[in-house]
Amino acid sequence: MASVAFNEIHKSFGSTKVVHGISLKINDGEFMVLVGPSGCGKSTLLRMLAGLEDITAGSIAIDDRVVNELESKDRDIAMVFQSYALYPHMTVQENMGFSLRLRNENKNVIEERVGKAATILNLVPYLERYPRELSGGQRQRVAMGRAIVRDPKVFLFDEPLSNLDAKLRVAMRAEIKALHQRLKTTTVYVTHDQVEAMTMADRIAVMNEGRIEQLGAPLELYDRPANLFVAQFIGSPAMNVFEGILRDGAVEALGARWPAPENKGIPGQPVRYGIRPEHLQLGGDGVPAEVVVVEPMGHETELLVKINDIDLIVVMHGRFAHAPGERIFLAPQAANAHLFDAASGRRL
Amino acid sequence: MRRLYKESVLLLLAIPILLWTLLPIYHIFLFSISSKDSAFSGALWPDKPTLRNFGTIVREEHFYLHHFWVQIWNSLWIAVAVGALTLATATCAAFAISRLKVRGGRTVMNLALFTYFIPAAFLAIPMYKAMGAYGLLNSRWSLVLAMVTLAAPYAIWVLKQASDKLPYELDEAARIDGATPLQLFRLVYLPLMTPSLVAIGTYALLLAWNEYLYAYLLLSHERTITLAVALGHFISADDSPWELLMATGLVYALPPAAIYYAFRRYMVGGLTAGAVKA
Amino acid sequence: MSSIALPHAPPAPPARRLSSWQAWGAIFIAPYVLVFLAFVLYPVSYGLWLARDPASYARLFADPIFFRTVVNTVVFLLIAVNLKFLLALWLSGFFVHERIWIRWLSVIFIIPWAVPSIPTIFSIRFMFNPEWGVINSVIFRLTAHDGPNWLNDPHIGLGLAMLTHIWKSLPFWTLILIAGRLAIPREQYEAASVDGASAWQKFRYVSWPSLRTLYLTSTILSMIWTLGDFNSVYLLTGGGPADLTHVLATLGIRYIRLDQVDLAMATIVCAMPLVLPLMWFMMKNLSRADRQ
Repeated sequence: MASVAFNEIHKSFGSTKVVHGISLKINDGEFMVLVGPSGCGKSTLLRMLAGLEDITAGSIAIDDRVVNELESKDRDIAMVFQSYALYPHMTVQENMGFSLRLRNENKNVIEERVGKAATILNLVPYLERYPRELSGGQRQRVAMGRAIVRDPKVFLFDEPLSNLDAKLRVAMRAEIKALHQRLKTTTVYVTHDQVEAMTMADRIAVMNEGRIEQLGAPLELYDRPANLFVAQFIGSPAMNVFEGILRDGAVEALGARWPAPENKGIPGQPVRYGIRPEHLQLGGDGVPAEVVVVEPMGHETELLVKINDIDLIVVMHGRFAHAPGERIFLAPQAANAHLFDAASGRRL
Repeated sequence: MRRLYKESVLLLLAIPILLWTLLPIYHIFLFSISSKDSAFSGALWPDKPTLRNFGTIVREEHFYLHHFWVQIWNSLWIAVAVGALTLATATCAAFAISRLKVRGGRTVMNLALFTYFIPAAFLAIPMYKAMGAYGLLNSRWSLVLAMVTLAAPYAIWVLKQASDKLPYELDEAARIDGATPLQLFRLVYLPLMTPSLVAIGTYALLLAWNEYLYAYLLLSHERTITLAVALGHFISADDSPWELLMATGLVYALPPAAIYYAFRRYMVGGLTAGAVKA
Repeated sequence: MSSIALPHAPPAPPARRLSSWQAWGAIFIAPYVLVFLAFVLYPVSYGLWLARDPASYARLFADPIFFRTVVNTVVFLLIAVNLKFLLALWLSGFFVHERIWIRWLSVIFIIPWAVPSIPTIFSIRFMFNPEWGVINSVIFRLTAHDGPNWLNDPHIGLGLAMLTHIWKSLPFWTLILIAGRLAIPREQYEAASVDGASAWQKFRYVSWPSLRTLYLTSTILSMIWTLGDFNSVYLLTGGGPADLTHVLATLGIRYIRLDQVDLAMATIVCAMPLVLPLMWFMMKNLSRADRQ
């Protein structure tokens, strides 16, 4: 059992408050992703869990045991840093075995455990190399190997893929996920990239300005975002959002009527209308729009269209036969539309 | 054609620089290989170059050289002690300030540098009185501790600058791996700081070996003084054997020249590291 | 569906960890702090206490040597340091040219700084000996006249002491300015070349703006240190002839050797009006550099 519980956590640096009363429970074996823009407090939260930052108020518990007062080394956690933080003067073998050496562990035990981790991560040929002789992806794996050797209760990842190029990032994502499925260790993963969050997480906590905007499974956040922030943060390309007035079961916006879900809101209420690019299908008698840019991706096509001087993005399967400047019609379904209160941004 | 002009100008400038730099050094060498008569003839090269002077030194045959070996040993002992002690003190202090981020570290750093705002000759006098008060006068330790005081601030500063370049995440990773502060110091910090440590140790060693004023004030007995002070005694009489003085001076000057040459890359890099930190 | 699914646990009080890491920080810094307290703070305080008697100052000012010494010191500071830095500035420009032989020359150039003062300054002293020194021998051989009595003339003596000081400390400051020059990105010079700048213009518009702060800060620091340059005067002239080439540094030591401790300390205190404004300029320049 290695659950993690944040209880009413507050954090201030001097007079600046960065975390406002966050409470979050992570289940044993779960892969929890904290995602949000820079400065939202996700790294700070992770570092408080790691014991690298003091907690201003609130408590953190690992396995129902409050760890506020415990040193990092006594919390039974392991962390993978954004810059890997490998010891430059030690070989891969020494890097991975360092924590055991600090505990004066038996040499054979160290060798065995390092060997096991190296095998899992395909690092055996590199054990005698130094970090400077390794590529970015290999260094990343060494950092993970160092964490695995510790056999901790919780893995912490602090934006580990940010320093890798795009292709490598995709490959490493799958490796981390596979590792998690194999080891089943509770994992807390911090990133600013919502694609990583969506593809890797069991549950996602979307954070903004020191608060959790929404907590839930990836598809839950995707299909039913709780507010405008989550709606526009999750999903790429981002959800189209524009202002309108709710009237007679539809939303009047951009000079047209857009189908809206029933029993939501008050007639005459100013709302924000949200619709994802892939839900703006082309249809015969829908909303007219002017094509501005056509971006063929091969398997799908991204269109930038203009309605009443507002830009919208449309994503459609396959190829697109028309050219920029042409007129098309968009026919969204009411079930795919999201309504948000214009003032608070909350979902209706 | 322009290039040739530029090259010849550069070469032309090199000559006075070379002469200016080496003339006094050459003069030392000139005297050391001269006999007493030819030294005082003002010749530019001795008519009968000889190594006899060095023999005299090694056999301690002259009045002023009776304790040569003890004195050169003192110089060596003190230089090594200063190097080691400065290294130890400064490394620990830089570790505390840069990695452990001890409270008040910045203040200590600034106070340390304040030592250099007191011209050395001025600090020497109160230092002399203080050593008297501590009962350390004429003990080798007085010179060692005085030189450590003079070398440490610069050492701490250079080590701190070098240390600040190491990413802080290494310390965090080590802490999570379970390192205590001592283990962090021994297993992560020291190995990564080795080049700077070499530069600073060498710097402190040379500083102590070359020192005259403090040695002159703090040490007085024939068997405790350093070679530098002994050389200074030569001047007191009018008919001193100057050629012996220069020969001894050459012996005295060789170790720093050799060490500086061997470590020049470390020294230049380490010493100027802090200068242009902006 | 937001977060909270916990029984309401009382939030832990904001804990002030007197972490063992802070304790170790104190332990590691302690050795140096002890050194500082014992060998800087105590001596300086003790020294100031020794200098508290106004009678010492009266006696000091009454000593005929004192006034001459102050003049010597000021002359030494203004002329020697500035000359040295002009040379250093110029030489640093010379040494940044990339040639193998220039690199070797720079290694040789450092020697005066690396080797101890005693043999080298004595060597200069002997070179200028009026009877048998090489300088006068060469002059005699060339002109059949006797050369001047170098070190026995107080003005020439002081001048030679300044030259000695420059000889000894020039390499260090040249190195500093070289480092300063090397920090200037090469592209700035290349852009200036493309713009058609002459060598002097490159110096004035590229080199000097970047070097200026370093130059000024170094000059001021060097002035503070030159105030304390005992060796250059003592080993060359001994303060003579007739105590006419003393500077404040050598004067203080002279009093100590005569066991007049209070006069020695008073001399130092009298040097403070020179040191303190320099210190103040240093701080100002340093903080301006920090802000840049």
